[in-house]
Amino acid sequence: MRPRPIARRRLLAVLAAAAVAPALRARAAEALRMRDLYEKDLSFSALARELEGSRVEVSGFMAPPLKAQSRFFVLTKRPMAVCPFCESEAEWPDDILAVFADRVVDVIPFNVPIVGSGVLRLGGHTDPETGFVSRVRLERASVARA
Amino acid sequence: MLRNTAAIALALATLGGAAAAQTAAQTADLPQAGSGWFTDGKAAIDARLAAQPIVKRAKNVILFIADGMGVGTNFAIRVFDGQQKGMLGEENVLPYEAFPNVALVKTYNINAQTPDSAPTAGAMNTGVKQRFNLINLGENAITKDCATEAGNQLTTFGEIVSGMDKSVGIISTARLTHATPAAVYAKTAYRNWEDAAPEGCMDIASQMAEAMKSGMIDVALGGGRRHFLPESVTDDEGKTGRRKDGKDLVAEITAGGAQYVWNDETAKAAKLDGTPLLGLFESSHMKYEYDRTGEPSLAEMTEMAIKSLSNNENGYYLEIEGGRVDHANHAGNAFRTVTDGVAFAQAVAMADELTDDEDTLIIVTADHEHSIAFNGYCGRGTPITGLCFDVDNEGVKHSDELVTADDGKPYPVIGYLNGPGSILVKQADGSYKGERPDLTQEQAMDPEFLQQALLPKSSESHSAEDVVAWAKGPYAHLLSGTIEQNVIFHVMMHAVTAE
Repeated sequence: MRPRPIARRRLLAVLAAAAVAPALRARAAEALRMRDLYEKDLSFSALARELEGSRVEVSGFMAPPLKAQSRFFVLTKRPMAVCPFCESEAEWPDDILAVFADRVVDVIPFNVPIVGSGVLRLGGHTDPETGFVSRVRLERASVARA
Repeated sequence: MLRNTAAIALALATLGGAAAAQTAAQTADLPQAGSGWFTDGKAAIDARLAAQPIVKRAKNVILFIADGMGVGTNFAIRVFDGQQKGMLGEENVLPYEAFPNVALVKTYNINAQTPDSAPTAGAMNTGVKQRFNLINLGENAITKDCATEAGNQLTTFGEIVSGMDKSVGIISTARLTHATPAAVYAKTAYRNWEDAAPEGCMDIASQMAEAMKSGMIDVALGGGRRHFLPESVTDDEGKTGRRKDGKDLVAEITAGGAQYVWNDETAKAAKLDGTPLLGLFESSHMKYEYDRTGEPSLAEMTEMAIKSLSNNENGYYLEIEGGRVDHANHAGNAFRTVTDGVAFAQAVAMADELTDDEDTLIIVTADHEHSIAFNGYCGRGTPITGLCFDVDNEGVKHSDELVTADDGKPYPVIGYLNGPGSILVKQADGSYKGERPDLTQEQAMDPEFLQQALLPKSSESHSAEDVVAWAKGPYAHLLSGTIEQNVIFHVMMHAVTAE
């Protein structure tokens, strides 16, 4: 029988995730939140400026991905409900975090708490793949359920 | 004749006095007579007996609509507001709850048990029920069918009173092209045609621009800037317009003599001397009250509008919407529902303060309720956005014990029947499963917390449950009983035309 490297990798990833899950759950309480990074007027907080370039963990929710098989997703502070009676199109909140992962991201339902871990970058950026404009990013990121 | 009238009045007063004395004698010896509940209850009746309807023609009409604030949502706002003021909460009285006249309102649409905000606001503004997703079109119009607009366009209360030389204003924390404010001026086969419509029909923003240029609307304050600007234009906050027809409606409106303001500072500098006023404070909806920065509050916009419209000696009609009570309910986030609800209540208090009951009819209502519900049995003063504390059998305030469900876990007071807070979560195989999280009070009271919901839905839904209408001022007493929503228009019409 031929080896199935992708399936095996997935299995390993699942095992690894299972092993770190309790630790992540514990960390979720300590992870940064969106409001720690943004001031009310959407300027960056002192903490965000201090942590720029460092690896941080931020809790939130995964917005429904813009495209399948992507290494990119948007972290929101509340589950991103799509409301047909409020909106005629998808409305992005102002305070979001763009997350660029090392690997294709497994989609997690929009209302499941997650923790993103990555290097914090501040300042305007347009993702060449999706055209998505962001002001704050996590790069070289990974994601797990909280 | 006069003498006879005076004699009858004296006799009635004596009779009334005698009856009151008799009641007092009968109740004075009751063991509960000294209780504050008892004396307060008696005082409420005395106030009712003293209340006299105002039967003069109304000069001004203010219609407040808290989008999505039915009986349940209003209860949550009442308790939250009270708790913010240091009360236990349940005993709190919101400014409009002190109004002397109240009706229950049936909100369904012609073809929908569960209503949406377009036909509900349309019913209040035209006097007839309307069809789901349409604004101010008759019952033969069809959703998204532009051809059915012709011949089905209704006349709005705003247009009628504009014809009586009154001024007209709209305020909303949602986009001014959104359903509730649009119902003052627009007629459309689809509520989402905010900046573009099929050929032969006019988009909602263009209709508002026409209404401002023609002088039908004098004050318009809210969100939705993007629908008034072309794609090529970047606004003062760095966001681009959405109009594909290249029209700059802000420029068109200001060319007609209106002032334009776009943030709290420019709003403060606006002339309130009756010069037409356009305020577009956000590209889309204005911010939730809790997140608000750089924008006027609903109460501040209310003050601006009333001061500006009061320059017309013939009076005015002003519709004021707390638009995002609804949005926060849709998001399943009770915290922003109640914080926007409190901002709405403050706007009502502002309007009441700036107007005279003798010439201004104020109606406070909602367009529809949500699928919000309340768990029990919680003790007095349980934080309304948090977990249910147990009843204290010896004291008044709740005990410090959290009430648990059969799964052994505490639960929030507020729940939704559906929405993003569903405990059923999508699994990898596409099925939905879940278990309630074991929450702490701190987690549940976090401003970002979503109340637990049953059915999984991306957006929590409206419900068909009744809403309330509170009223004061001329002919406010016509609002009573259980009424159809379109009756509100007829109360307003009677008030402004009464002889």
